[in-house]
Amino acid sequence: MSGELIAVGLSHHTAPVSVRERMAMDEDRVKENLARLHQEGAVSEAFLLSTCNRVELYAVSRDIEAIQEFMREHRGPEGEPIDRYLYWHRNEEAVRHLFRVASSLDSLVVGEPQILGQVKTAIRLAEESKSLGRTLNTLTRQTVSVAKRVRTETRIGESRVGIGNAGVDLAQMIFGGLTGKRALLLGVGEMGRQVSRAMVNAGLEELIVANRTYERSVECAEEHGGTPIQWDRMQEYLGRVDVVIAATGATRPILDRTHVQKALAARRYRSLLLIDLSVPRNIARDVEDLEQAFLYNVDDLTAVMEQGKAERQNAADAAVRLVDEEASRFMMKLKEVSIGQHIGSLTKVAEQIRMEEMERSARVLEGLDPKQRKAVEAMTRAMMKKILHRPISTLRDAAREGDLERIELLMSAWSQEDDS
Amino acid sequence: MQHLLYIPVLLAYVAVTVGHLVPWIVPAAVRERLRALGAAGVALHVVALGADVAVGVLRPGLPEAVSSVSLGVMVMYATLATGRQKALGLLLAPLGLVLLGLGLVVPHEEVAGLQQVQGVNAWLPIHLTLLFLGVAGFALSGAVGALYLYVHKALKAKRFDVIARLPSLDWLDQTQFRAMLFGFLALTLGIAAGGALAVASFQQSWVMDPKVVYTGVVWLIYAAALQSRLIWGRRGRFTAWVSISGFALMVFSLLGLNFILSSSWHGYVG
Repeated sequence: MSGELIAVGLSHHTAPVSVRERMAMDEDRVKENLARLHQEGAVSEAFLLSTCNRVELYAVSRDIEAIQEFMREHRGPEGEPIDRYLYWHRNEEAVRHLFRVASSLDSLVVGEPQILGQVKTAIRLAEESKSLGRTLNTLTRQTVSVAKRVRTETRIGESRVGIGNAGVDLAQMIFGGLTGKRALLLGVGEMGRQVSRAMVNAGLEELIVANRTYERSVECAEEHGGTPIQWDRMQEYLGRVDVVIAATGATRPILDRTHVQKALAARRYRSLLLIDLSVPRNIARDVEDLEQAFLYNVDDLTAVMEQGKAERQNAADAAVRLVDEEASRFMMKLKEVSIGQHIGSLTKVAEQIRMEEMERSARVLEGLDPKQRKAVEAMTRAMMKKILHRPISTLRDAAREGDLERIELLMSAWSQEDDS
Repeated sequence: MQHLLYIPVLLAYVAVTVGHLVPWIVPAAVRERLRALGAAGVALHVVALGADVAVGVLRPGLPEAVSSVSLGVMVMYATLATGRQKALGLLLAPLGLVLLGLGLVVPHEEVAGLQQVQGVNAWLPIHLTLLFLGVAGFALSGAVGALYLYVHKALKAKRFDVIARLPSLDWLDQTQFRAMLFGFLALTLGIAAGGALAVASFQQSWVMDPKVVYTGVVWLIYAAALQSRLIWGRRGRFTAWVSISGFALMVFSLLGLNFILSSSWHGYVG
């Protein structure tokens, strides 16, 4: 790697939308900028990631100042420099940041799936601009595979929040989703609305609203794009829906076992999800004994929510661990490659010296018989090897510890040739 | 069976089974690719069976029967056990492995009636293939049925931590039904093909063969379950129990019955 790995950019964490929208680039601008960075010699490899929530430059460069210069050209909406919105990461930090971004750990909505596609687009644009070299090629490939690992191994993509979504989660467990499903909302209480809204957002086909005062059900149905019905037609609709959400202010159960049994028969015993959000409860408790009726109350929804929270935390923790692990593994690999190059140049220098000295003594050596000449050859080689032994093992140690300074120091002791 | 060819298959199935039952002892690289590994095992399994046919050592008998069912189970595993359905691997992978293992250790018993089948008779492979497909379908239906019962119970007991990782109840119900329907159709056609085989080879009544009678009873049970589902919407736990017991009856028919039936064409003569 010639130079350092740099990540610089701004995101929803550091910059307001007014700044982000000014920085955002379309595909052509991305390519233009990559070409310019190359021409000006600011970077040896680079790619640019531009989404509505972030703009980031990943580069291999020896010249951080040139990159700073490039960044300084951009201004905020009031003409202010954008420096204060920028974050800079180097080497392992940069790798870790990229892995986190691509795995959607840094997203506005953690776990959202679009970011990986956007990263892939950024990679494609850089490929088309021929601005990826060996380091970034490996890095981008690894990034995509890490992001996929995070998605498949940590369930981070399944995160949802709120009591409304607990209802969606329950529907997920029973029906596998809400597409093509119908729900009946009884009463227009706030909690009932929340659950219905979440279900509509999750793809519910139809929401039917029944309230004691018809006008209010019309109002609520309009708000959620549902169908209002008269209260006394409730039983009729009960057999046509997959989900019942009860949230009325009634003090006695409005649905008992017989109601639900009839509804189940009408729907040929397909599972029925009943969510009772009212206190006191609106759905008789013995409904639970019906095989295909799944009745849950507010406390159960809270439990689902807690479960979701715990899982989301676990998923995020696991994802962060995985990403950090992968980042250090990647850096290790990168260092191994470059330390290999250093060691190569070290031995090359030594061998060159040995050859020069052998040549200088060529006349003397000519007097020796082949066997003796061979012995001299072997001896000089062994000497070089022994001399190099310590520097090489020190280099390896330094690489393992990530001690770049010591590596530089060691290499500088080996004259001009280390510049490979 | 040429046992040597089955060793890689066995190893693949062992790895898949271990990966599902005790994932934490398996390296991540393997854990992520269990299904691919299963698919590779299936491919090798097909090669092994194909080689048996090619060199003519395939004399349909007990080991081949069990091995074929194992193949069917693993095909279903490799097709289905992804995403939330990954939990199916907990049941299908060990089942496939145990069946393959059985196929490798049980003695080669030959079916009595085979000795009377003259030359090459196309009805024989058709009869066998259909029945093994049928049993594989019932195996899937049984495994899914067991999972259905578990998820149903957890939903009623409000144990949300476990179900969040399992397939949805409706998916299990649908899959169990489809697998049963598939098994039933294959079984029906397989029995018919067996009838055709009997007429072609033995020119005599085949209906009173004890194994045929036994299978007929199992057929009736499945028929009744499917009927009551299609007509009255009878589903859920009842169907799940039929799936499980039906498969158990099928396994008994495959492994035990033939030893008892000395008077049957299907009985083993060693």
